[in-house]
Amino acid sequence: MEVREVLSIAVLSGEILLTSGSEIYRVEDTIDRICGAYGIKCESFVTPMGIFVSGWAVNNENESVSLIKRIRSRTINLHNIELINTFSRNLQNTTIPYHEALKILVGIEKAPYFSFIKRLTAASITSLAYAILMNGTFVDGIFAAIISILIYFILERMKKADFSQYFSHFICSFAAGLISVSAGKFIDALNINAIIVGSIMILVPGLAITNGIRDALHGDMLSSQARIVEALLIVTTIGVGVGMALLLMKYWM
Amino acid sequence: MKEIVLAFIGSYGPAILFNIERKNLIWAGLCGAIGWTAYRSVLDLSGSSIFAVFTAAIVISIISEVMAKILKTPSTVFYIPSLFPIVPGISAYYTVLYIIDKKIVEATNKGLETLGSAGAIAFGILLISTIFRYINTHNINSKG
Repeated sequence: MEVREVLSIAVLSGEILLTSGSEIYRVEDTIDRICGAYGIKCESFVTPMGIFVSGWAVNNENESVSLIKRIRSRTINLHNIELINTFSRNLQNTTIPYHEALKILVGIEKAPYFSFIKRLTAASITSLAYAILMNGTFVDGIFAAIISILIYFILERMKKADFSQYFSHFICSFAAGLISVSAGKFIDALNINAIIVGSIMILVPGLAITNGIRDALHGDMLSSQARIVEALLIVTTIGVGVGMALLLMKYWM
Repeated sequence: MKEIVLAFIGSYGPAILFNIERKNLIWAGLCGAIGWTAYRSVLDLSGSSIFAVFTAAIVISIISEVMAKILKTPSTVFYIPSLFPIVPGISAYYTVLYIIDKKIVEATNKGLETLGSAGAIAFGILLISTIFRYINTHNINSKG
């Protein structure tokens, strides 16, 4: 197989990993492993925003091929990480021709997701659990679950419509704040704080902050900065959204 | 006991949102529940939330690495959902909320707590994964 073909497979696997929210070192590992399986030397540099790889055949160091891939959207999809992991490990045992490998990778990219209804249910039970964990009652949990169904729905729709993630997070947290405060106006016994915290639990980027620091501990300073800044911006939009809703309701009623 | 069940749900739900394979869902939830138990008991004993988070991160990553060995999947699949209950997302949110309210002292406290627990979790995972990686390579070397 040609160097260019090997590199394009390696970069495509890296792209799937990175858009599925993988750690940087895993992406670099996978690219090295795939190139190594086909007997090609390579050097890779991966950031959350893009992949830079250059590779050359062992007997011909003067002719190297470079590929750059820009990554724009990142979500968390652990199933894809698992599939790519087994794919690259299988390659180490038996190499397969270019078109077969490409077919497998395209199949992984379109791997099944849980159905929308199931994810909505998951979002709602998550919010219910966290609202009760934050000293809420069961009724608070129900309210949080309803709000979280609504905001998960909005979030997914806005993601499809290609809105900026900051804008959609702002709208969702604003809606969460607005609904829970107005619910608190009608029913006195509600613990508004527990409802808000429970329902925005599916929005807050706690994992992104932690992953950012983990990248720094692995020595990937650039990606750590990128992830932490992204997480800080998201958490700021969420805080501003809820804060605006709280202020608004204070003056209105 | 109630909290353990809630923490189980709190890891099981995100595991669906993060799209992990069906057969691993229940293990991720279990791992999260054990992690939360560790977090709560250390928090009650010592009163330091960062130390509690660190212990929970260590417990969770040990379980995830062992499960990853048994079920032959990357350990990420288990520890991302099970860290969800202890990850400092909510304290980051409170930091911003306090800043908006001009409560700077509380904001500083919460902000430091956020950074501290994020660092503690990251360091806990790194510690365990380094040890497990060392064991793995050592095994391969001694065989070959």
